[in-house]
This record gives sequence, C-alpha cells and structure tokens, in this order.
Amino acid sequence: MKGRHVVVGSLACLTLGATALAGCGSDEDRLVVYSGRTENLVGPLLEDFAEESGIGIDVRYDDSANLALLIDEEGDATPADVFISQSPGAVGYLDAAGRLEPLPDDVVDLVPEGDAADDNGWVGMSGRVRTLVYNTDLVDASELPDSVLDLTEPQFAGQVALAPTNGSFQDFVTVLRDQLGDDEAAAWLEGMAAGDPPTFSDNTAIVEAVGRGEVPMGLVNHYYAFRAKSEDPDLPLENHYFPDGDLGSTLLVTGASVVAGSDLEDEAHQLIEFLLGDQAQAFFSEETFEYPLVAGATVNPALPPFDEIAKTRVDLDELGGGLERTTEMIDESGLNR
Amino acid sequence: MPAPVALRVVCAAVGLLFAAPLGYLAWRSFTGDESLGELFTSDATLVPLRNTLVLATVTAASTAVVGTALAWLTTRTDLPLRRLWAVLAALPLVFPSFVGALALLAAVAPGGLLDGPLGWVGVTPSRPEGFAGAWMVLTLFTAPYVLLPVSARLLALPPSLEESARLLGRRPVAVFATVVWPQIRGAVGAGSLLVFLYALSDFGVVVLLRYDTLTRVIYTNRVLDRDRAVALSLLLALLALAVVAGERSLARRRPAVEAAGARRPLQVPLGRWRWPALALVVGWVAVALGGPLASLGLWAWRGLTGETSSLAAGGAGLGDLVEPAVNTVGIGLVTAVVAVAVLLPLAYLSARYRARSGDVATGLVATGFALPGLVVALAVVFWSVQLPEAWGLYQSFVMLVFAYVVHLGVQSLRAAQVAVGSVPRRLDESARMLGAGRTRRFVTIDLPLMLPGLAAGGGLVLLSTMKELPITLLTAPIGFETLATRIWADAEAVFLAEAALASIVLVALSGVLTWLVVVRRSDRLA
Repeated sequence: MKGRHVVVGSLACLTLGATALAGCGSDEDRLVVYSGRTENLVGPLLEDFAEESGIGIDVRYDDSANLALLIDEEGDATPADVFISQSPGAVGYLDAAGRLEPLPDDVVDLVPEGDAADDNGWVGMSGRVRTLVYNTDLVDASELPDSVLDLTEPQFAGQVALAPTNGSFQDFVTVLRDQLGDDEAAAWLEGMAAGDPPTFSDNTAIVEAVGRGEVPMGLVNHYYAFRAKSEDPDLPLENHYFPDGDLGSTLLVTGASVVAGSDLEDEAHQLIEFLLGDQAQAFFSEETFEYPLVAGATVNPALPPFDEIAKTRVDLDELGGGLERTTEMIDESGLNR
Repeated sequence: MPAPVALRVVCAAVGLLFAAPLGYLAWRSFTGDESLGELFTSDATLVPLRNTLVLATVTAASTAVVGTALAWLTTRTDLPLRRLWAVLAALPLVFPSFVGALALLAAVAPGGLLDGPLGWVGVTPSRPEGFAGAWMVLTLFTAPYVLLPVSARLLALPPSLEESARLLGRRPVAVFATVVWPQIRGAVGAGSLLVFLYALSDFGVVVLLRYDTLTRVIYTNRVLDRDRAVALSLLLALLALAVVAGERSLARRRPAVEAAGARRPLQVPLGRWRWPALALVVGWVAVALGGPLASLGLWAWRGLTGETSSLAAGGAGLGDLVEPAVNTVGIGLVTAVVAVAVLLPLAYLSARYRARSGDVATGLVATGFALPGLVVALAVVFWSVQLPEAWGLYQSFVMLVFAYVVHLGVQSLRAAQVAVGSVPRRLDESARMLGAGRTRRFVTIDLPLMLPGLAAGGGLVLLSTMKELPITLLTAPIGFETLATRIWADAEAVFLAEAALASIVLVALSGVLTWLVVVRRSDRLA
C-alpha cells in the first residue's frame, strides 16, 4: 500500500457509496495470503516471491488463531488463497474443519515425514523449539534439569514463568498428553501449579520479565531470547535446551496451506514451494533463528543440532478427548487462578 | 411528550444494526453443541464470572472517584497548568492494553525501571498481579472514560450557582457536594458505566496480571473449544444488556437535570490545597502515562543506539510510520463523526423523550463494547457472509467503520445522552412558541449547548479507534496499516524498539487530537 493515499481513498469510498466500493477491493488475480507470522518474520520473503514470480500478493496479518477463526467464519466465500500459521494448533483446526485443500505430494515430500499433515492439508515450513529461558545472573546453568518433567521438583517451585493461555504452551501440553497420556500430563500441570508459578500472557512478556530479573526462568519457544538479545545484547538471557530429545525441547512447526475454494491453486502452490526453497529456508535459519525443515538446509550454529531435539509429532485427530481437553486440563490444574 | 414516529423508526434501525453481535452469538450458540444451562451453572464459568463482575464494579467505582477529581481540578480550579494536565490525564486511554500493561510492568515490576530508585528509599517492588494488580492497572488506563465526559459537563455548567454558594461562604468541598455533584452525577454515571463495560471486555490487562475473568476463558478456548467461547461471549453480552437497561430505567426515575450555557469558566481558588492538589495530579499522570512511556522510551532509545537492533540497522524508522499514522488519524476521525451522528437520534429518544424503547436500544449498543473486539469482528464477518447485500462491502472501509462503531459507539452515546439531557427544555419551548422550526431549534439552541458533551463522546471514540486492534486486523481492507497494528506486529515478534517508537507516536498524536477536539474546543465554547 506504500505511496497510496489510503485515507483519501477511504474518504472517497465513504462518499461514493456502495457501488464504487466494489472497485476499492483487491483484484481478482492477486494471491491473497492470511499470515499468522508477522510481517517482520515473513514479509521480505513474500515481497521477493512477488517480484520473482510476477504474481501480485495481498497479505492480511493477524494472530494465527484469529485468522483460523476468520477463514472458518468466511467459509466458502473466503478471499484467502494461502494460510500461513505460526502454530500447528490453528492450521490443524482448519484442516479438521475441512477448510484446507490437500497439497500435492511433491510439495509435502520436501519436508521430513511428520512435519506435514497426514492428509496433506498443510506442510511444515520452519520450526521453533520449546526451551527454558533463564536469567544468567540468577541461575547457574549447572543446576538446570535434564527434563522438563523435573521442573515440578521443589527447588523450582514458583521459579518458572508460564503462559497458560498461549497457543504454544497449549500445543506443548497437547504433546505431553499424546506422549505420556492424560494422567501423567495432568500430574505435571498440577505439579507446576502447586508451586504457584508466575504466569504471563505470552512468550514476549515472559522473556521481558526474565530479562529484567523478575522471574529466574520461563518456558517459551527458543526464538524470543534471540530476538530480545539483538534488541539489547547486555540482557542476561540464555536458552536451556533439555538434552537427549526430551519432551521439553519439542519442535513446534509453523505451517503453510492452501485454503479450500481458492481459484489460484497453482499460484498458491508456487508460493508454498518458494517458502520451502533454499532462499526462504536460509531466511528462516539466519534471520529468524528458526529451524529450517527442508532436507539439506543448514541449521543456525547458535542452535542445538537437529538430532538433539525432540522429534515428537502429534496426530491431533487421534488424541483422546480432542484439543478441548487440553485447555480444560490447564484450567483444572489451577494454573489460571 | 411522546417521541416523533420518525425518530422511533430511525432508532429502531440503529438498534437493529447494533444487535449484530448479539444475533451472531445467539445463532452460533443455539446451533452449537454446548449445553448452555450446564455451562452457565458450572464452576468453570461461575468463578470467572464472579471475578469479572467484581473487577468491573470496583474499577467503575474507583475511576468514578479519580476521574471526577481529575476533571474538577483541571477544569474548575486555579491548578497550575491545568489545561496541560487536562490533556495528559486523558492520554493513558490510548495505550493498546497489551502494550500499555507490558510497558507499565516493565517500569514498576521487580527488576524494572523503578526498582533502582525505589531500592534507594528502601522499597522493594512486588509485581502487581491478581485482583489488586488488574484493578490498579485498569483504573490507571480507564479513568479518562470518566474524566472526559465529566470535564465536558463541568465546562457546560453555568457558574452562577457555584458563585452564589461561594458568596454565601461555603468552602470549595461543600460547594462541590451541594451544588456541583447533582449536576455532574449523570456524567459520572455515564463514564463509569463505560469503564464497567470496558472491564468486561478487556483481555490484555487481566491475562498479563493474572486474574481469571470470562474474557480469559473466551480467548483461551477460542479455537480449541469454540462452542464454549461463543456461549460465554453470549453470557457477557446479555450481562451488559441487563446492566445497561437497568441503569437506564433507574436514570429515568431521577429528576431531569437541566442546566447548561456557561459563558466563561469558573475558577475555584484552591488556596493552601493548590500544591497538594498539583502533586496529586502530577503523581497520577506520572504513573499512568509516565510509567509506560518511560519503558517505551527506553526500548526505543536502546533500538536507536544499539548496534545489533534492527532499528539502528536501518529497520523501520519514523519515516515508515507516516502512512500508518495518517491512516490512524483519518479512520479515527471518520469513525468518531459517524458514531456521534448515528447515535444522536437515540440519545434524543432516551434522554429527552425518555422512551422505554430507547433503554433497550441503549442496552444493545452497549453489548458491542462489552464484547472483545475479536467477537465483534467475527460477528460482522458472519453477517457479511449471510447477507448478500452486505458482501459487496466485505473488507471495505465502510465495513471497517461499521464494525468500529458497533464496538465503540456506546462511548459517544452515553456522553450524548448526558448532553441532550442537560439542554433546558424551556429554551426549546420558548423558541417553538416563537415559531422556530425543529431544524432551526436544533441548530441554534441544542447543538451549541451540547457541543462540549458531543465532542467529549466523539473524542472517546476517536482515541479508542486509534488504538483498536482486533477489528482492524480482521476486517480492514487488506494492507491497511495503523499504528496499533504496527505496534502489535512488532511486539509480537519482539521488535520492541519499533513497537515502542510507534507507541510513542500514537500517544503524541492522541495528545494533539485531544487538545484540538476536546479540550480546546470545550474551553472555547465554555
């Protein structure tokens, strides 16, 4: 929209009335992307794609969950062609609701098995690892546990900040349920809640609080400490990766999908292939500190190698009680009180 | 006197438009799987519901006290620099709640900016949280909902009554209690009702300060258990409808207060209370506005000077904020004008003719503000899909402004009701007997008397629109960026320097607009 007089346009639209307004919408042949990744994290790639392919792109940015609700509400009328999700939960919701068009095998095959939906509804693009961020002034690295399950021990009571309302924490709890069963997952949640841990709204707020020393540690995705330290290199922050494929270092993938009913399916596939190509995968590795998912892409040397993190993949459909049970369990544990 | 039929028809249409969220939620609830009776009576609902009600009620009461005090001090006394404080005290309203609360925490929480200075005087800060934390932070950010309408009312009040009371030797406090309070009670009630509704809908503050309310449950479940989120939103809307309709019928029983037409502002000398009063106002502004601004300033400074930050490395700077800033102001002004114009007929119906149907319509308008913006946005999307006539406007500016007005319109309505109610009927009647037509009476008598109140209501809508996020993100024309959407995107990805810079620009612009639209205008009119 750069250089366009949006406000003047808006006033013109308002005064010219409904008939003129149809013309204020986007063109038919432009690819409409709903992106749960914010502009900083995907915008440059989308611009490059538009330039290289000659395909015009319009992007609506919002939280992944809100965009999933929007696409569901819009139904068959949705203007969206491509949905980029920051979390497996949101894109899984749309897949289960039948709002996604299956991707061709050759696109899905670009990533390892398990990093895409079984029904080809979406394909993983990049990954973020769950981690324990800690304040190096307050915590000695040697005292940190080898498993996220040990955080219920007395010495960590009230020391670890959580974001129980946040999508990535919910996804992590879903993984726990899948791998350990609901009883053990509930026991872990209750163990954490028993220590009355400080809770925050999201990863950004936790990393900010750990950085200023209000809380010694916090369970977050690995990306945030990297970003916070490029804002302020003096911040006493480090990520602790639970070793040996512990569930505490589960990889949460961000996904790309084609929205059902898109009339630009070919262009949508081109974009997704571009996001899985060398240039984009290098961008995720170098610029956004994430794990690239395509075979052969190089992992950022600041991160633990790919084979040291948990390869847990959750089949959301098979999980007993469905995803609703995850938030119920978090509520029942008392973490939200 | 019965209301004209045309007015009733217009108001019914307005009420219908504002029923969009309620209708959407009712439809989704009754076609969903959730058993409403079971859900509404379970502890998982009742505990957050009680928390919500307690928080909203207590915050409404505390802002009534603070907002009224600030309004009186900045409009009616010889407080030094009172016009400056009048603008600054209104500004905490413009912090989008997630970034305002985050920045305030970064200032006052342990390890924050104030930790050092407080440590020197032997105070260890503790993190504000739970009920007390949410209440304090909400009070700091929402007091302007009372401040602006009450200031407008005070400025429209003829000074003669107060002058007589003072000449009779009454002290300022006694003058306030016996003369001023009965005249501004309506405005205080209107403002604190807005705070009550805002507290029902707020998510950013309660979740960061860890207080379990209905909106927390709605947000947490919005994707994973959608039927529950919808049913609880319906509960929130019904709650608002009941509270507001109830408040309106109470207001109808009160005698009408009609006094307006101040020619010049009256100044009460504070005497030896002048400096303590100043300290109070400065202290309030320092915490509510200065606290978050200090953190934002630090983040921006760090970004501008740090070597590794994207801001210093040629990232988004001030230049990139010009377009979002123009968009923000433009859409805010349009929304404010539309909201005032659309809701003025309803203000007449309920405040002048005191029609019962007006109470119901007012309740419907209030539901839009008691619901999280996300729910209002989805409701507008739902109706756009259902109604072929509306689909042509999908994701257009008309739809965006419509969604804003449905969500925020009650702010201008409540101020307008106070303004309409304070126009003395005898002026209108005299003019009618002299043969002035309805339009002429409106333009020459009502409008000038109501302008400070209408400007205050429009000002609230303006400031709220400028910081609005969920509706903008979901329903704006694609590519339309405002300062709030920038702040959200940057904060979400931990580009704190960029987020801080955009927030500071938002506050500065809001300050200028508050001055131009609300404070200066009402001063001149008064």
